[in-house]
Amino acid sequence: MRSALFLAMLALVLPAQAQFRLPNIDVNRLVDTVKNVGRATQEIAEPEEIPIGRDVAARLLGAAPLVPDMALQRYVNHVGRWLAAQTERPDLPWQFGVLDAPQLNAFAVPGGTVFITRGLLERMQSEAELAGVLAHEIAHVLRKHHLTAIQKGARAALAGEALNVALADRGGAARERLIAFGTEMYSRGLDKADELEADRLGVVIAARAGYDAYGLPAVLQRLQAVNPEDSAVALMFRTHPAPSERLGALEAMQATLDAHAGRPQLAERFKAQMRR
Amino acid sequence: MRRLALLLLLPLAAAAEPATLIRASDLKEAPATDAPTLASLPENAAVEALERKGGWTRVRAADGEGWVRMLALRFASSGNAKQGDSGIAQVVNVARTGTSGTQVTTGVRGLDAEQLANARPNPAELAKMESLATDRAGAEAFAAQGKLAPARVEYPKP
Repeated sequence: MRSALFLAMLALVLPAQAQFRLPNIDVNRLVDTVKNVGRATQEIAEPEEIPIGRDVAARLLGAAPLVPDMALQRYVNHVGRWLAAQTERPDLPWQFGVLDAPQLNAFAVPGGTVFITRGLLERMQSEAELAGVLAHEIAHVLRKHHLTAIQKGARAALAGEALNVALADRGGAARERLIAFGTEMYSRGLDKADELEADRLGVVIAARAGYDAYGLPAVLQRLQAVNPEDSAVALMFRTHPAPSERLGALEAMQATLDAHAGRPQLAERFKAQMRR
Repeated sequence: MRRLALLLLLPLAAAAEPATLIRASDLKEAPATDAPTLASLPENAAVEALERKGGWTRVRAADGEGWVRMLALRFASSGNAKQGDSGIAQVVNVARTGTSGTQVTTGVRGLDAEQLANARPNPAELAKMESLATDRAGAEAFAAQGKLAPARVEYPKP
């Protein structure tokens, strides 16, 4: 703050001529930047979280487009939106997409965007399993796991430029670096604790929505049977705790799981979508 | 989509999955804690998983068929010759990329670290995705159709 004041005073006392002689230095911009460095640790608020998420989502869609099956995309949106309605952030602009990629994975993007890959969807056998995975991703959004990770890394990613510049100027170079950093987050992964928390909350959210709560454990068990050498699971296995460990950690949720085990799995509704 | 889905689902539906127990477990006659016990299976017992019902999985063990806790089972990882690499899927993906006409020069698209690092924004797909989102009322009608009844469930204490 003190240096910002100093720069501001400098700008006032510098003769206009001096500014003309240094056309590459925008003193106002410099003052803004210095002022904003101190604010880089502030929490990113929801009005900024949503457009960051949209920019990151556009990148992920650049890596893999949507599966060109509009009925399937709407179906997954219905399941996801119903789950999200049971949470403490029911009115985010939630949107769900199936990415046309053979890899097995799912991604939560800040602000309410969730992706699942065609590869993972094809390994599932019921709507309750799909709900379990979407609920895990929704939990990441609720707890702002990726947003927090982006924020923590922002200083390094922006190489001295302030987070606020990147937040305010959607077309600028700082923004570009922030979004690239946010996208690469999906190949680095989150903390293990974040993943295990999303598993626990995911079970709760699926149960709230009226599904058989064992959907997520069932998917984890199937993932555990996939050969870890298979390139289709390489990225997911590198960025998540092993399925076996996740199943073990979910034993803490046994009471919730059993209380909601007899609920609908909707295998037929799911298979009807996949057969089309 | 259809052909590929069948290709991947068939091996799962066709056979029993080899699995092992991570702890000593009772083999139950029915999927319930208070069901009669048929046998006591030791830790690491090898079984074949047949079907799941709630938190229980029906298995074929040396002592016959019965039910064990689903979370006590770990499936054997499918090694070597069994399924091989989903490289099959990769080949299909190349073909799809070739005919879609959108990013032919990049070859296999997908979601590996390299592709994430090099991805360029695709605003057209984002707009399409936004147009496919549903509102709360639409989701509620969908849930009612599936007879999904919302329940009050608390988050676990951290």
